[in-house]
Amino acid sequence: MNQNIPEKWKSLYDAVLEGNAAAATAAVDAAIEANESPQTLVDEYMIPAMDDVGEKFEQNEYFVPELLISARAMKAALTKIQPLLTASGSQPKGRVALGTVKGDLHDIGKNLVAAMLEGGGFEVIDLGVDVDPDKFIDTARASKVDIIAMSALLTTTMPSMKTTIEALKAAGVRDGLKIMIGGAPITQEFADEIGADAYGDNASTAVSIARSLVAS
Amino acid sequence: MPSKPAQIHLHPVAKTVAAAPGTPLADVLFPEGVEFPCGGRGRCRGCRVRVLAGTMEPGEAEQRLLSEKEIADGWRLACRHQVEGNVSLAIAQWESPILADNSTYAFERVEGLGVAVDIGTTTVVAQLVDLRNGSVLAVRAELNRQARHGSDLMSRIGASVTDAGGSALTGAIRRQVARMIGELMRAVVERDLPPVRGVVLVGNTAMHHLFGGLDAEPLSRYPFEPERSDALRWTASELRWTGLPEACPVTFLPCIGGFVGSDVLAGLLAVGFDHRTSPAAFLDLGTNGEIVAGNGDRILCASTAAGPAFEGARISMGMRAATGAITAVHQLNGKWECRVLGGGEARGICGSGLVSAVATGLDLGTILASGRLARGDTWMIQEPVSLHQCDVRELQLAKGAVAAGIELLLSALEIPCSEIETAFLAGAFGNYVSLESALRIGLFPFAGERVTPAGNTALLGAKIALHAPDPVALCNAFRKRITHVSLHADPDFQEAYVSAMRFPDPARVGA
Repeated sequence: MNQNIPEKWKSLYDAVLEGNAAAATAAVDAAIEANESPQTLVDEYMIPAMDDVGEKFEQNEYFVPELLISARAMKAALTKIQPLLTASGSQPKGRVALGTVKGDLHDIGKNLVAAMLEGGGFEVIDLGVDVDPDKFIDTARASKVDIIAMSALLTTTMPSMKTTIEALKAAGVRDGLKIMIGGAPITQEFADEIGADAYGDNASTAVSIARSLVAS
Repeated sequence: MPSKPAQIHLHPVAKTVAAAPGTPLADVLFPEGVEFPCGGRGRCRGCRVRVLAGTMEPGEAEQRLLSEKEIADGWRLACRHQVEGNVSLAIAQWESPILADNSTYAFERVEGLGVAVDIGTTTVVAQLVDLRNGSVLAVRAELNRQARHGSDLMSRIGASVTDAGGSALTGAIRRQVARMIGELMRAVVERDLPPVRGVVLVGNTAMHHLFGGLDAEPLSRYPFEPERSDALRWTASELRWTGLPEACPVTFLPCIGGFVGSDVLAGLLAVGFDHRTSPAAFLDLGTNGEIVAGNGDRILCASTAAGPAFEGARISMGMRAATGAITAVHQLNGKWECRVLGGGEARGICGSGLVSAVATGLDLGTILASGRLARGDTWMIQEPVSLHQCDVRELQLAKGAVAAGIELLLSALEIPCSEIETAFLAGAFGNYVSLESALRIGLFPFAGERVTPAGNTALLGAKIALHAPDPVALCNAFRKRITHVSLHADPDFQEAYVSAMRFPDPARVGA
């Protein structure tokens, strides 16, 4: 757990960790009022809070409901901060387009990954569920995406990941981006087999994987 | 010195089972297909048996639930007895298709025999029925032979689309049912009986497709709409099934929609859902949870992927309800006590045991309302069987899916759950899981006294269809009144699902 949270706006860190959206936005309001830098709030309080949420999830202390209410608190705070960040010209850590693959509608895992990535400082373009390969291609072309993240919950929709990667190759956009995949039936072996760049076992590891992908 | 096994002779199916004295009679009868609607706790009359030879002393539960005449006639409650010596028993459930005494269903007398088959994802049950009086002449229950191509529905569908091929799965189930029917016929070969006039099969949509040789691929992806959902018909000779009259019709009853198949349709007929004018619900919980709710006017149904936790699968020490399985965990003076099937050493935990263990854990405070184990990541419930944190999580996913599905259907019908007069709990789950435990973990929002365990309603409905002049017409008229709702497409589902993963706080249970 993160022991080095500055006392100053620790209430923001605590609010995200506990999933208290009202307290999180109140803390952001107070900090902005006191002229705190929005980037500092994100980097020193909110990202560490979501990191710790992820760690609690991995250690089985938190489960899906806790993860989701923390993500909600984080999102509420981020909605307040985003315009200020944009105005100050600060850059996201990277841009991720994500969705569940064609044929798959199960989006709880995908939504958690989206929330964790946003919490981790990424800009996220959520393409939703049942995403056609063409939609991934169009987004990659139009929005200068660093990473495409795909999720599948069903064994029967896993093959759509391969189809999508092949379509990205055929469209000539594969080389410019990284591809990460996840979902209950997915394994590292499957990721290797279909030529994905990375596989994440859960929403929390998705953040560290995305960080290493944009760094490489 | 080990005591000699006793012989338990079962009527009217003419089968003898050997069992060691001291074995609970329920453990002997359950694998033979006898159901225990109240979970074997001496609260209903569902497991009545009549002692034809041998002795079984009546106890307190019998004084309470049976009349003096019934006791004098030899009727006993199977769940209240252990094996003592050789006995011959008539099984009440098998004598007529009327499962509960208050059932309004009355069969029409029809000349001839019928075969009802319930093709479940996990088990296949077949009964040979005398349609002249509704009595069951022979029963066969087996694991579905397709199971080696995947235990859950999606992996089975996946196998049919890819490697194994649909025809292998179709061949496997058709051969299995043909063989089981052959065994049913051989069991009565010496009796002077009329010929079989029809075979009725029920099962979920995937079983319907795989039996029928239809392409299951559309069921593998969004929007999960079946290729066909109407009834499938053959004659015995078309299927090359011997032992039946050549022209004997073999009918797979029609599906309702999505994954919800004729097993649910038949189940609804069996509990009289088609005649109800007041709000009611119907739940069939297995790997797939099927939920039906009606307000007397509209009927909605949905299926939800509950996951295999209710059947003890994907649980670290999970197993089927067989010898050595912990089937219940009771609270006892701030501690707990396990019931082990067969009475010997514990080997694992089955679905009902998991639900019961978690319910007791919540009461004892060893499990928090968030699902977190209070101390560490494991709870040793009885050497060598322990419950892991991830097991509780599996159950939370399963029960969250069911509870959220119920919530959404009721809200679509605009009825509060307090207005549901009867909630029927169908399938094996309803037979062996304790109602108190199910309520304690927040599996459904109904008051306990309104939940009615209904047993294998799919098979009962298939038998009702056998008695009908035209089984398909009966089903088609009813299924037109039912609307299938796709929970996936409902934007509120995720919210409801995640909220329902938590366990209720103690103060709210049963409220």
